[in-house]
Amino acid sequence: MLDSWPVATLGQLKRTTLARLYGKLDHRTMRQISRTAMFLLLATFVSLDVRAEETDCSEPSADCVEMGQWDISLSLGGGVRTNPVRSNSDIPLLAIPKISYYGKRFFLENLELGVTLHETDSNAFNLIAAPGYDRVFFVRNDLQNVFINSVPSGLYAGAGFVDTTAGRVPVPGNVPLRPRRITYLAGPEWSFSRGRLTGQLNALYEVTGRHKGTEVRAAVSAPVIRRKGELVVSGGATWKSAELVRYYYELENVYEPGAAFNPFLKVAYDLPLSERWALSAFVHYEHLADAVADSPLISEPQVTTAFVGFVYKVL
Amino acid sequence: MPISTKLRRLAVGVVLHAFAGGVAAGAALTRSDFIKLELRPRVCTMSAHDQQCSTVVQAQWQSSRDESLCLLIVGRPEIKHCWEGYSEGIYTLKLAFSEDLVVELRDPQLQTVLVSEAITVIKEALRLRRKRRQPWSPF
Repeated sequence: MLDSWPVATLGQLKRTTLARLYGKLDHRTMRQISRTAMFLLLATFVSLDVRAEETDCSEPSADCVEMGQWDISLSLGGGVRTNPVRSNSDIPLLAIPKISYYGKRFFLENLELGVTLHETDSNAFNLIAAPGYDRVFFVRNDLQNVFINSVPSGLYAGAGFVDTTAGRVPVPGNVPLRPRRITYLAGPEWSFSRGRLTGQLNALYEVTGRHKGTEVRAAVSAPVIRRKGELVVSGGATWKSAELVRYYYELENVYEPGAAFNPFLKVAYDLPLSERWALSAFVHYEHLADAVADSPLISEPQVTTAFVGFVYKVL
Repeated sequence: MPISTKLRRLAVGVVLHAFAGGVAAGAALTRSDFIKLELRPRVCTMSAHDQQCSTVVQAQWQSSRDESLCLLIVGRPEIKHCWEGYSEGIYTLKLAFSEDLVVELRDPQLQTVLVSEAITVIKEALRLRRKRRQPWSPF
């Protein structure tokens, strides 16, 4: 029944209620999994040896970069980012480019840029600008999906999709849907390291005038295995204001969501093979808050991104 | 004490001091004081990405009398060039080095360093900064 949504009319919404209840059971299960995962993550961090390991950046390393130099790498491999939007197909990951540049204050990391206001060995305060993330699920050619080849659309593509390249989403019946434009969010960022623990906290406001929502991004990570290869566990959450959630997941006169809190867990492994090559793999699991998952546009209450491949350092 | 006596003592002191200084200077003169060694370049500058300084090194020595001596480079036992009964000499070679290069002139038995000079290596410092921490990033 859920799968029939893209061709459903407004009158059919009520018939999906039962199925949605089953969906909520899944949500609870997923919430429990998320909470358990977060607990395990915190337990891992607490048990870590948190002696100071900050370096003074006297030579290039994974944590220290040379100013004025471009850093370009390309990950080649296989992976997928599941797409929670109903009838929109999963996003295959075949090639993931990474570009960064650091000046004395300015920095660029792929599509994010910023200025460092104050920095010590263990703390950094930046002003950053970052693209709105949720658009990746609606628009295949979003820059955040760059180098990710498209695959044939889902079962209901013919009935549901309306010109995805223009930023439109499936149109159920005659419900008008607005396009999801490129947005940028800007605001302060605090990042820190305490021993092996690394943290990041952003408070971002949408500055491109599309929805004027806010988003708070918070995460911590720590290496749990550090030999030749490194296994890093990260956990965190994204809080999205009601304005932001509505911009992406609202169905006018049908569904009006509130704010959302999406926790995530990530495990990543990197193994340097040579000066230019490395093996890289990661799994990133994000649980979608009810405000998002309950949207008729959404069929899955989670997003999983997984990739394994080789990283080639171009510059 | 009369002023004339003071002046006389001062004059004697100055003469004695000058004499003692002259004797000391004469006694300090050794073989190496007659030999001058010049290196070119005097400094080698490496960029932050250079692993080594690669350049043509010219060592030129002169003496006010004929000498028998050998040129050596510290840490490069394979490099040795000797002169016998010359008052000057030039030795040129291409070298790659990452630390200060010390050139010595020694006696033919290689026991005594007569004179030494060095080419100073100056390495441009890398300008580093801490990379942004991004545990939130999905990638």
